[in-house]
Amino acid sequence: MSGTWRTKFLWIILVGFIFAIPLVAGSYVISVMCFIAMFGGLAVGMGLLLEQAGIFSLAHPTWFGLGAYVSGGLAVRGIAPPWLGSIIGAVFVGLVSYVIGAPLLRLKGYYLACATFGLLIIVEISLAQLGSLTGGHEGLMGIPPFSVGNFVLETDRHYYYLSWALCLACLWFLYNLMGSRMGRAVKSFSDSEVAASSMGVNVPRLKLKVFILTAMMASLIGSVYTFYLRFTQPGIFGFPLLVELVTMVIIGGGKTLYGPLLGAFVVMWLRELIHMYLGGLLPRTSAEVDAIFFGLLIIVILIFMPGGLAGWIDRFVYGGRRVRGRPQS
Amino acid sequence: MSFFSQVVQYTLSGLTAGSIYAVIGICWSLVYLITKVLNFTTGEFVMLGGMLTWGFHSAGFGLLPSLLLAVACAILIAIILERVAIRPVRYPSEMTYMMITVAAASVIKGVVLLVWGSETRTIEPFFGTEVIHLFGATMTSQVLCVFGLLVIVTVGLSLFLNRTLFGKALRASSINLTGASLMGINISRFRLLCFGLAGSLAGITGIVITPITFTGYSIGMLTGLKGLVAAIVGGWTMTGTTAAALILGLLEGICAGFVSAGLKDVLALLVMILFLIVRTMKFASRLGRDAR
Amino acid sequence: MEGGGSVADPRADVLLDVHGLSKHFGGIRAMSGVTFSIPKGSIISMIGPNGAGKSTFINVVSGIHLPDGGEVRFQGEDIAGLPAHAVAARGIGRTFQLEELFGSLSVLENVMVGCYTRGRSGMLVCGFSLPFTVREEKRIRDEAMECLAMVGLEARAHDPISRLPLGERKLVGIARALGMKPRLLMLDEPAGGLAAHEVEKLIRLIHLLVERGLTPFIVEHNMPFVMSLSRWIIVLDEGRKIAEGSPEEVRTNEDVIKAYLGEEI
Repeated sequence: MSGTWRTKFLWIILVGFIFAIPLVAGSYVISVMCFIAMFGGLAVGMGLLLEQAGIFSLAHPTWFGLGAYVSGGLAVRGIAPPWLGSIIGAVFVGLVSYVIGAPLLRLKGYYLACATFGLLIIVEISLAQLGSLTGGHEGLMGIPPFSVGNFVLETDRHYYYLSWALCLACLWFLYNLMGSRMGRAVKSFSDSEVAASSMGVNVPRLKLKVFILTAMMASLIGSVYTFYLRFTQPGIFGFPLLVELVTMVIIGGGKTLYGPLLGAFVVMWLRELIHMYLGGLLPRTSAEVDAIFFGLLIIVILIFMPGGLAGWIDRFVYGGRRVRGRPQS
Repeated sequence: MSFFSQVVQYTLSGLTAGSIYAVIGICWSLVYLITKVLNFTTGEFVMLGGMLTWGFHSAGFGLLPSLLLAVACAILIAIILERVAIRPVRYPSEMTYMMITVAAASVIKGVVLLVWGSETRTIEPFFGTEVIHLFGATMTSQVLCVFGLLVIVTVGLSLFLNRTLFGKALRASSINLTGASLMGINISRFRLLCFGLAGSLAGITGIVITPITFTGYSIGMLTGLKGLVAAIVGGWTMTGTTAAALILGLLEGICAGFVSAGLKDVLALLVMILFLIVRTMKFASRLGRDAR
Repeated sequence: MEGGGSVADPRADVLLDVHGLSKHFGGIRAMSGVTFSIPKGSIISMIGPNGAGKSTFINVVSGIHLPDGGEVRFQGEDIAGLPAHAVAARGIGRTFQLEELFGSLSVLENVMVGCYTRGRSGMLVCGFSLPFTVREEKRIRDEAMECLAMVGLEARAHDPISRLPLGERKLVGIARALGMKPRLLMLDEPAGGLAAHEVEKLIRLIHLLVERGLTPFIVEHNMPFVMSLSRWIIVLDEGRKIAEGSPEEVRTNEDVIKAYLGEEI
């Protein structure tokens, strides 16, 4: 059972590392790590859908955004405190993803990608257009901070622990899930739906369950995001975020669960470095300019290191004996 | 404007947009059918056509030379794209290609932003700014250029694919890639050709539409997406794509005129989603379990 | 053994009863009016030239395709038109002509997917790693190892599928189908591509499974294999049943000989 002891050991190292950082690092580093937890959590869910389950849904940023808007909107109007708003947001997203997923998940690979991409754009545009409800292009402002009872989360450090707690909780849950009977069923239908259903797996129902699960996780992360930033805008939840998440999944490697989180770490710090050192050279820095570097990086990785960083690490550490990736057909 | 004139106006603008979507949709189909690559840079090539023409023009070249240079650059970029990003892929899958082209589109968009900034640009209409009147609605001569482009492209491609040996070989490859390569057809070169052709067509489309709708670093995505919608709904055939695109353009025109301009982009995407859902529902009841 | 009748052994319980089963794909009639029964404990084979409708038959019974007409009764229950996972849950297992193994999973994990119906943990239980699911996981793992042992591949349990040669892949497919402890096991061309000694091993395995109470149903091309294994053979040609009987009867049947057009039986 050396495999499980090694895994437990790695978990402890990871949690310890995460726990220790705010004790030694400054506000800037803590803030970046907050975003890594949030976007990393999103990327992990997306990587699971895309690479392990074979569900090519590009709608992940939408769930993130809806969670942010619902919980933020409820809190800003004083209807529900942040913790309750977050739960309501997750339930709302669960329902929406159920209604949308049921018909859409029957679509073949790239058609599903196109349809969910369309959904992404539709929601982004709609959020901007429904001014009275959502604050239009400028979004919602003045969202109160997260609070539990009398304890209000104010500092970066508070949100650091909150966002990492959520991220690691999701990661832990997904690890258990993918190592279990359900996880095997998910991986099986991504290889062969016909064989999986012949073994008793209710494929359409399971696809929907995984879809809803990851959507609700994204929604919770969106809630933490909006209470951290105290505002939210439709532009955050559209195409640029999608590209960023996909970059994290590809760079980190989607076949493992931790890969996209590692990818998030790399991407966010890389972006900080680019801004710090090249910011002066380039006439402007913005998401689109960052996209140049990340686009090139994606192309390079997809061509030369298709398994991403995690794939490379796995081969290095486990010597190729662990089963990863599919045989080429 | 009388109601009738309004209808004519919106119809005209809708058909204009529809013609553009049709040619773009054909670009998508061309690449997809033969190479199985969903080329998400198609929209960016539309943008590049207009931007490059403006770039060369404002650098001092005449309108026609700028146009030709822009198309030449578009072809060059398409070739680079295929050689650098598509060909070297070792484990090709549709999703991988899709992600690569999305990444390449981001790169192109970012570079354009860096080089030329974020303002919208335009170029002069080809045949002057004369305005034509039709039942109380107005249209510029450029609109006729757009329609002309659609006709030239559909007729030209049709002839090329059906009458020439090369075109037939291209169609053969789209049906059976392995068989085609066994017959001595150079798949790699065909793919290059398709990318180049689609890139140049998209670029020309962008040039033709720029005097009407202007151009900017960010217009590529939505425009390209609408072309994709037309191709999907049209079943990837030329007639289907054209029909779907024109209808889509018409719907958009009417929506923008009578409902809300902001929501018209949503319309195209809704159409695509509904179409895909209805399509699977029709299949899923009986054939879904048969289409193994 | 009654000769020339439509039922192999009328005294045994009927496990699968197929009546007038039809399936067409567009204009092609893949299967028309197929009727026969599979009694418990028998080893019945279905043979026929290429395109006769043998794989279609398995696909329709196992729920991959919807039948266009006819009845399918399993242990008395009407299962025609049920989706594949429901058919599997009722105790019908199957293998695939092209194996259809799960490339992302190891050999053992493939068989554990076969044991899917033997477990009950849902998403939440698995995600929170409750003690119930941990116990169940261990039980499933043990059961899967047993199935692997039955086909003789315990040593390959943790290997990736891509490393296995064809013969072993076929065996993994069988082990996987055994995972659900099926009553009826439909084997789609199990001997295809196997060497002679592997075919012998397969025959011994099938006899072992019958001893354990399982009813195999074999769709095959390989004549010596079929003739030596089965007491009762169904012959399909162009979607229709053209003959049914013992190996000797089938071998000398004129329609069968014509269908195979000079092929050595």
